[in-house]
Amino acid sequence: MKKRLALILASAMLVTSAVAGLASCKSGGAGGEGGSSEKGHVYYLNFKPEVDGIWQDLAKKYTEETGITVDITTAADGKYEETLASEISKADAPTLFQINGPTGLANWKDYCYDLSDAAVTKELTDKAYALNDADGATRGIAYVTESYGLITNTKLLKEAGYEITDITNFESLKKVAEDITAKKAAGEINFSAFTNAALASGDWWRMQTHLANLPLYYEYKDGNVDPGVGLQEIKGTYMDNFRQILDLYLDNATCERSVAASKKVDDARTEFVNGEAVFFQNGSWEYNKDSGLMDMELGFLPIYIGVEGEENQSVCTGTENFWAVNSQASEEDIQATLDFLEWAVTDDEVTKVMADDMGFSIPFKNAKPVSNKLTLIANDMVSGGKTNVPWALITMPSQAWKDNLGSFMAAYASDKTDEAWDGVVKAYVDNWKVEKDLVAEATKD
Amino acid sequence: MGKTLQKNPLYLCMFLLPTAAAFLIGFVIPFGIGIYLSFCKFKTMNNIKLIGIDNYVQVFSGDQVFGQSFWFTALFAIVSTIAINVIAFMVAVLLTRNFAGTNVFRTVFFMPNLMGGILLGTIWKILFNGILTNFKQTLTSNGTYGFVGLLILMIWQQVGYMMIIYVAGLQGVSDDIKEAARIDGANDKQILFKITIPLVMPSISMCTFLTITNGFKLFDQNLSLTGGEPMHNTEMLALNIYNTFYGRVGYMGVGQAKAVVFFLLVGAIAILQLKLTQSKEAD
Amino acid sequence: MENTNKIKTADEIKIKRKTSDIVFTVVFSIISVFWMYPLVMVLINSFKNKNYIFQNPFALPDEKTTVYGDNYVQAVTTKMDFMSALMNSVIITVFSVALILLCTSMCAYYVSRVKTWYTAIFYYLCLFSMIVPFQMIMFPLSKVTDVLQLNTPFRIPLVYLGFGAGTAMFMFSNFLKSLPPDIEEAAMIDGCGPVRTFFLIVLPIMKPTIISVGILETMWIWNDYLLPYLVLKIRYYKTVPIVIQYFQSGYGRVEWGAIMASMVITIVPIVILYLFLQKYIIKGVLSGAVKG
Repeated sequence: MKKRLALILASAMLVTSAVAGLASCKSGGAGGEGGSSEKGHVYYLNFKPEVDGIWQDLAKKYTEETGITVDITTAADGKYEETLASEISKADAPTLFQINGPTGLANWKDYCYDLSDAAVTKELTDKAYALNDADGATRGIAYVTESYGLITNTKLLKEAGYEITDITNFESLKKVAEDITAKKAAGEINFSAFTNAALASGDWWRMQTHLANLPLYYEYKDGNVDPGVGLQEIKGTYMDNFRQILDLYLDNATCERSVAASKKVDDARTEFVNGEAVFFQNGSWEYNKDSGLMDMELGFLPIYIGVEGEENQSVCTGTENFWAVNSQASEEDIQATLDFLEWAVTDDEVTKVMADDMGFSIPFKNAKPVSNKLTLIANDMVSGGKTNVPWALITMPSQAWKDNLGSFMAAYASDKTDEAWDGVVKAYVDNWKVEKDLVAEATKD
Repeated sequence: MGKTLQKNPLYLCMFLLPTAAAFLIGFVIPFGIGIYLSFCKFKTMNNIKLIGIDNYVQVFSGDQVFGQSFWFTALFAIVSTIAINVIAFMVAVLLTRNFAGTNVFRTVFFMPNLMGGILLGTIWKILFNGILTNFKQTLTSNGTYGFVGLLILMIWQQVGYMMIIYVAGLQGVSDDIKEAARIDGANDKQILFKITIPLVMPSISMCTFLTITNGFKLFDQNLSLTGGEPMHNTEMLALNIYNTFYGRVGYMGVGQAKAVVFFLLVGAIAILQLKLTQSKEAD
Repeated sequence: MENTNKIKTADEIKIKRKTSDIVFTVVFSIISVFWMYPLVMVLINSFKNKNYIFQNPFALPDEKTTVYGDNYVQAVTTKMDFMSALMNSVIITVFSVALILLCTSMCAYYVSRVKTWYTAIFYYLCLFSMIVPFQMIMFPLSKVTDVLQLNTPFRIPLVYLGFGAGTAMFMFSNFLKSLPPDIEEAAMIDGCGPVRTFFLIVLPIMKPTIISVGILETMWIWNDYLLPYLVLKIRYYKTVPIVIQYFQSGYGRVEWGAIMASMVITIVPIVILYLFLQKYIIKGVLSGAVKG
C-alpha cells in the first residue's frame, strides 16, 4: 500500500516537473506572447490610470484592424519611474513609454528613439510640442496639454453665498474658504471649502508636484528663467506663499489636517462628487466619463498663493506627457509603434475618443474640438488676456525629490509648527541642488 | 549505494543535475553578478561600467537615509526579539499547564502565520488608522506610531510561531526533575529560572535567532503598513535597498552595494548565533 | 493531626489549581477573541461600501453602509481580476512545491550518499544560500530570469527550486544522514537499482520530512511578494499578494471594498486548510526551526 502511494506520489511529481520543464523549453522564441515577430508588436507603458480602460479598448480596436498586438499597462500613481526602471531593461520591454520632460529625457536618453522624421512628429500643430535633445533631435512628443487649478462646485459656492467671480486672488479665496468653514461650524451648511489634501504616500502628487509648481513658477519669473529649462539651484523665494496656501487647504478641508496623510486622491474625488466640498484642486484629466465630474456644475479657478499681480493669473496649462519610443526595441517593434502612434493621432475615431472620453486636448492637426469643460474654461481665460502659468514642474529634479517633499508636507500637515515647515523648506530648496547633482552624476557617462 | 550512484553519470544527471542547475540559475549566478555589480555603475544590463568602490563610499557617506534605516532596523530587531520571545515564552508556559481550551488557544495564536506580510500589513493599516482617527492622528503621523505599529503587527504574527517551538521545548522538560526540585523545597519561580529555562535554552536561542533575522530582513510588512513614511522614518533596510534600486534612476550600483552590506550584516548575525549555540551546547 | 493537615493542603492546592485554571481559560478566551479580531474585521468590512470602510472600520454594516455581496462580485469580475491572480498563486505554489520536493529529495539523497568534492561544495553552497537575504540577489535574479524567460506561472517554479533549494536540501540531508544505509544495501542485493531503491525504499521512509518541507515551502511561496513581483511578467500575471498591494497603491480608483472581499476569499480557504492539517503544519514548523 505504502509502496503504491510512493509510486503515485513520485509519478505525479515527475509529470509536474516534466510539464514545468517543457514550459520552460518553449520559451526560446523571441517576442513571447507579443504576437508574431515579423509584424512587430506594441507595448505601451501608460502613465495615466484614469484613461487606462479607454486605451485598452483602443488597443483592442487596433488589433482587430491590423492584427498587430498592442499591450497597454498602466503604472500605479507615483510609481511610473519605478515601473519603467524595472520594465525597460527586460527582454520584453515597453516599446512606447512616457517621459516627463527634460528631466525624464536626461534619465532615459539612451532609450529615446529619434523621432525627428516620424509621421507623428509631422502631425504636431506646433514645433514647440516636440521635446528635443541637445543636438536638436526630437526624442519626445507632447501628446496632451492639460490644465489644473481649483475645480469648483459652483452650485455649492452659491449656497454658501458667493459667486465664482468673487474670487480673484489669495485674499478673496481665503475669505471665502474661511467663511465656509465658519458657516459649516455654525451648522448653516453641511459642506467644506476644500476636499482633503490626500497626502498618503503615492497620492500626494497634487501637492508635491502641482501645487509646488506655483512658488517655483514665480521664482523663475522673477529671475527670467525659462520654465522649460529651470535652474540647478533655487532660493525658495515664495516658500511662505506655499505655506499659506497649503495651510488654507488643510485648515478648511473636509477632514482634520492631522489625518490628511492617510487620505487618497480617490477619497478627495469622492468627497467632491458627493458635494462635501466646494473646491477640489485637480486638473482637466478629471473630466472623463468615469469620474462623475461631467454631471456637475463646474467652475475652474486659478490657484492663488498671494503673489502681487496674481489677479491676472490663469490656471496652469502645460504638459508633462511626452511619448517616447524605445530605441532599443527591435526594428519591427519600433516600426509597429510608430504606426500605432500615427494611427492614434490621425484616425478620426481615435481623436474623437481622446477629445470626448479621455477629455484630452491634443496638439495634433487632426484634433477634434475639445468638449472638456475645464479645458474650455482654461482656453477662455488665456484668450481673455490672462497669463498662463506654465508647468515649471517639469524641471523638478527627480521623483525622489518629489516623494521626499511629499513626505515632509504630510508630516507638516499633522504637525503645524515652524520646525516641521523648516523640514518642508529643506526638502524643497536644499534638497533641490542635492537631487540635481545626483541626477547629473547618474546621467553623465 | 554511493558507489553505484557515482559510477553511472546517468544517476548524476537524474539526481543531482536538476536541482544543481536551478540552484545555479536561482542563486549562484545572481549572487556572483550581484557582487560584481556592486562595483559597477549601470542603468541596465547593457551599459555596465566598473567603477571600483565608489558605490560603497556612497553607501556610507552620501546617504543619510541608509544610516537612519540601519538604526531603525537594529532597534526594531532588538525590541521585537525581546518582546516576541518574552510573550511567546510566557504563553507557552501557561499553555503547557493543560487547562481547558489550551489546544484551541494554540490554534488561534498560530493562525496569523499562515498569511503573508502584505495581507497582514494591509489589515493592520486599516485597523490602526481606524483607532487613530479618533485622536485625529494617522499611522504615519510620526515615526513612533509606525514603530509601535510594526511591533504590534510582528508580535501578533510571530508569537504563535515561537510559542509552538517553546511548547515543544517545555514538553521535553520532564516532570520528574521539577517534582524532585519541589520536594527539595524550590518554589515555582526557582523552578522556572533554575531548571526550566536552562533546559529549554536550545529553543530560546533558536527563537531568538529566528526573530532577530526576521526583524532585520523585514520587508513585506514594512511596505504595506507604513511604506517607510513619514519622511523615511520607518523605512527599514530591505525597503531602503529596494527604493534605491527602483526609486532613483542610475543608482542601481549603490543599491547593489547596500545589498552586499546588508548580506554581510545578516550573515554575521547568523554566524554569531551559530557560534553562540555551539558554545552553549558544548557546556 | 499532621495527617489531616496535609490532606487539607493537598485539597486546597487542588481547589486553588482549579480556580486558577478557570481564570486562565477565561483570560485566554478573551485574548483569543482579540487575536482573531483583525481577521473578523476584514470579513465585516467586506460587506460595506468602500466609502464607509475607513470612516469606521469597527462598525458593523447596516442598511446605509452595506452593499451586500457587491464587493465580492466586483472582486472577481472587474479589472482587479482577482480570480486569475488566485489561479496563478495556486499554480505557482503547487508546481513549485512539487518540483522542490521531488528534485531536492533526490538531490539530497545523491549528495548524502556520494562523497566527493563536488557534492561537498554543492552542499555547503546550499547551506550558505540559507543566510543570504533576498535583496542581495534580487536585481541580478530578475535579470537572469528575464533573459531565460522564466516569467510565467508555469516557469517560475524553476526559480523557486533554485532559490528555495537551500532549506529543503538541508532538511532532507539531515534526515538522510541519520538513516542507516543497511536497508538500501539490502534492496541493492535484491536487485533494485538506485532509482527503484530511492522511490520504493527511501522516499516512503522520508515521508514525514517531505510533509514538513512541503508545508514550509508552501507557506513561503504562497505568501511571497517580492520574488514574483520582480520575476513574473507583471502585466499578464499577478499573484494574490501582488494584487492586494497593487490595487491600493493609487491605481486611479481604489476599490477598498473589492480588496476586502479578495482578502476574505484568500483567508477563508487557508484557515479551513489549516484546521484540517494543523498537526502537520505544527510538525513542519518544528522541524524547520531546527534549521538555524
